[in-house]
Amino acid sequence: MPSLVSDPGESLVPFSPQVGDPVVYPLHHGLKPPFARLSISWSRGNSLRVAFFKTPAAASASSDDETGGKVLEVKLAEGGGEIDEAQRRRIAYESVPVFAHLQMRRNSADSLSRMSYGSSSYRAEWWQHVMEYSKHISSILGAPKTSSSSVVEDPKTVVKLEEEPTCLKAAWDLMEIFYVDKQARAWLPERLVDWLADYDGLLSGPDSTIHSKLLSLQKELVNLQVIEDELKYWEAMSSALAVGWLDIVVKLLRLHGSYKLDQLGNRETENGLVEAVAVLVSTMPRMRPGLAAQKPGRCYGTKPDFFKAWEKWRGQMAKLDCSAFWVQCGHRPTREGLRNLLQVMLGNTSSLASATCHWLELCISHFLYVRHFTTSLEAIHSLAQKCMQLKPPSDSQWLTGLMFGILEENTEVVLAECSRVFGPWMVTHAIELLTADNVQADFLLHEERYNLGGISIEELHRIVYAQVLSSHALTWPIAPVYLASCPKQGFGLLEILLYRQPVQHDKTLLKNLEICRLYELDNISSCLKKITGMHHWKHGKKGSGVFWLQQAQDDVRLNRIAQQLFEFVGKSVSDDSFKQWEGLIELLGSEASTAGGLEFLHKYKDFKKSLQKVQDGKASDAARQAIEYLIQLMKSPSTPERFWLPLLHDSLNLLNWRERPLMNVSETNLLLSKLQELSLARLRPGFCDSHLPPQALSSVRLALATNLGRAILE
Amino acid sequence: MAEAYIQIHKFPQSKSINAVRFLPPLSAFDRPIVAAVHDPDADVFSVEIHALEPQNPPNLHLQSSWPTPSRISSLRVSQTPQKPIIAASTLGGTLHLFSAHPVEASIESEVLLADRSFHSGPISGIDLQGTGTELVSVGEDGRVNLVRVGESGLSSNRFFDSRGLVSYKAARWASPSEFATGGLGFSLQWWDQRKPGGPVSQLKGDWARGGKSGMVHSIDIHPSRKHVCMAGGSSGTVFAWDLRWQQQPVLLSGAGPDETIQPLSVSEVWEVQYDSYIQSSNPVSAASAKILPVMVCLEDGILAVLKQGEEPLELLAEPCAINCFDIDQQNPSDVICGLEWEAIAILKRP
Repeated sequence: MPSLVSDPGESLVPFSPQVGDPVVYPLHHGLKPPFARLSISWSRGNSLRVAFFKTPAAASASSDDETGGKVLEVKLAEGGGEIDEAQRRRIAYESVPVFAHLQMRRNSADSLSRMSYGSSSYRAEWWQHVMEYSKHISSILGAPKTSSSSVVEDPKTVVKLEEEPTCLKAAWDLMEIFYVDKQARAWLPERLVDWLADYDGLLSGPDSTIHSKLLSLQKELVNLQVIEDELKYWEAMSSALAVGWLDIVVKLLRLHGSYKLDQLGNRETENGLVEAVAVLVSTMPRMRPGLAAQKPGRCYGTKPDFFKAWEKWRGQMAKLDCSAFWVQCGHRPTREGLRNLLQVMLGNTSSLASATCHWLELCISHFLYVRHFTTSLEAIHSLAQKCMQLKPPSDSQWLTGLMFGILEENTEVVLAECSRVFGPWMVTHAIELLTADNVQADFLLHEERYNLGGISIEELHRIVYAQVLSSHALTWPIAPVYLASCPKQGFGLLEILLYRQPVQHDKTLLKNLEICRLYELDNISSCLKKITGMHHWKHGKKGSGVFWLQQAQDDVRLNRIAQQLFEFVGKSVSDDSFKQWEGLIELLGSEASTAGGLEFLHKYKDFKKSLQKVQDGKASDAARQAIEYLIQLMKSPSTPERFWLPLLHDSLNLLNWRERPLMNVSETNLLLSKLQELSLARLRPGFCDSHLPPQALSSVRLALATNLGRAILE
Repeated sequence: MAEAYIQIHKFPQSKSINAVRFLPPLSAFDRPIVAAVHDPDADVFSVEIHALEPQNPPNLHLQSSWPTPSRISSLRVSQTPQKPIIAASTLGGTLHLFSAHPVEASIESEVLLADRSFHSGPISGIDLQGTGTELVSVGEDGRVNLVRVGESGLSSNRFFDSRGLVSYKAARWASPSEFATGGLGFSLQWWDQRKPGGPVSQLKGDWARGGKSGMVHSIDIHPSRKHVCMAGGSSGTVFAWDLRWQQQPVLLSGAGPDETIQPLSVSEVWEVQYDSYIQSSNPVSAASAKILPVMVCLEDGILAVLKQGEEPLELLAEPCAINCFDIDQQNPSDVICGLEWEAIAILKRP
């Protein structure tokens, strides 16, 4: 548990010691002071429960409409994250099946090939599963950027404004690139170029980025008359070129004034130079397997091929750089702008530095134009450090910490950054990426730790996430998925979680029971049924109470409440209210084992029914039937003693049946002996008398004696 | 397989969906939908009307919303396009009737019954007559109430009170004077307004011997076969109770005395409705003896059509529970369902 880590210095989830400005939440309780007591406790999730208690005297003295206190819930605002609560829940829901699927695969793989765990085939297969998992999660975090080119494309749209990507997705994709995407290792720099193209907009904090530069240019584009006179235009192009957004550069170049039909004649040389640069840009060799359709650039899969193409391309550039046409180009901004673009492409470090804004942009520009074959983390790391010296990041950059954690191959730092910036969801799900192809991280995160109470870091984070889920009324039902994947403490916590859910409403209870069934927690399920049974019983819903106790097979409680039921039955099973009882008695069923003494009621009902038939004037068959039920009841050990006399008294009619005696000698003797037992029992203390007239006993005795006489005679 | 052609569209709501119904069409263009929702962030329960725009892909947008004091347990609508009425019962024991504006699909007014003498504790099921003039409500408190919807308001009349000895879970009209209720132990009761004092006949709770007992969650009665009462409940149980063969219900799914019938699933069947869209594959055998196809939604995320003696046809398999659904009466190829993970799904069958 997180609380076990007492020393903040050793804590795995770092917290910042700085305290922000206090936030004031005004409370509208509408009560008049003074208060006797104020109680503050945590409620679900991020809310506080504040209870105001008035002194009892003050409450009673004040006007009637004022109550003795009030309870308020105060929602403490979230830290203004980019993702709102509803969105967070959506991500939580959708990632459940993906996570569960991966866990299932892990379990089946473990059981199948425990022997060959370390083998390469197993690793390769597992890595494939994690790749699928990662792609799936990434798609949940946001739709992939669509490169759909509409038929009518606005020439002035440089940067497409689509759905804003989230930092969460950006961070996920970054980790995927480094930890899971094996195929990308050979062309890691180009993967980062792509990543930056998708998420550059997110890097802008207080500093500007190339993305924001282009956006501001796009806004002004409509109003600019002579675009090539603007410094901004040239700067934006060299920036876009530096990070490899070739399509944007080509598009911007074609907006150059010299392309206009009316000016083509007298700006021929200028136009030729612009076009030459555009062609160079669009034929730039790239060290990658392929590019999206209609993107400029030429791809080379192997180093030698690329190197040859690169040398050739540079040769063309050098030729253009020394060409005599520059002198003939009369337009100074164009001349300087184009030559600057050439400098960027030639890999002039100072040009690259001035063209980029963020350290990562600078880093990427070095990959593209200076160090194409940088693939080891160490090399990237040292380059990134150099870039950072030139362009120091601002404090609030989530990227820097994460990136350096990855580059330094420091799993703990990566986890801590994920946790600090993105919270428990990210950590829980990202651990799968970190351990996918890294034995060291695998060991680190799965090692059982004494200071964590014997659980691993992975389990700790899953538990923390499950607790976050449990704190919300709608997400708690998915917490079991995560708890079930915690081998040490998961099931204990799951049991606690299930115990603490409300049981008042059958629908929610049935959902709980379903979870119990899924995880084979039969004892919890029967406990919940018992709790519900007692809840309903106490709230006067006797039928529901009995039903749930029957479901729990709780004979002890059923016996106890049977005694209470008999009280009611003795009093209220008069003939008109009998219909109400019928339903309950039906529910009890006829099986003695589940009803716990309540099967008596079943026979009692049958007896009452046939008695009713007799009273309705039906034939003596009915009377004989009723007597049979009576004998059964009197024989049965489950018939409570206090019912004996009322039963006999009710059947006085039958005992004195006019036509012929309905009972034979032995049956009469049985009833007489029961009567004798009863009169003896009356002398014992604690006997509870029925509500019959005092002469009831003697009249029954008389009737039985008469019947005995008649039976003997017959 | 037919599933390949079913179009499924999901609309995240960021609210939990407790019940959904199609409203009768008000205009030629949009299809109005009523949903009972709970917004956990604001902690507000409400009845919402959404308009389903029929273009491809369809679009769902909120038209109007009306708060209720607690969670809605049951939602019904009248089939009267000129003056649609929406009835909602809550777990707090209150009954709300909303009249919708016939053109704008917005809620105009509300009348409610919130009296402890009406129901004490949760109302578990209600049903509205198709004409919207009369309503039956049943609750865990064991009361069966009849509510008359008049011009002047609502007048309720306690038809039966078992004083908590029996709890009822669902109710459904069979005819203007008869209705059926269902409850614990898979029991069903048949009532007749003309014969007060108790159920006219009942299916005893212990018929499912051998199998596990459970409760009925939903009942449906087909307008053309009023003597058959279709019910769904715990442990994947779906059965039909024919008043003419009272003692032995016909099991469509679930564990029962007949070993040959396998349950579709062992989780809860939350709702059942006759599916008039699915025609029996064999028209000869679809004669009166057969039970009509019925659609069910389950806790383990399945929406399926059951036919007697045939394999169930799965329409939707979700990773989360499907808590409620409704079939469009006017256009039965369309089905709407409420998913546990805060979304509404719309299915268009080919």
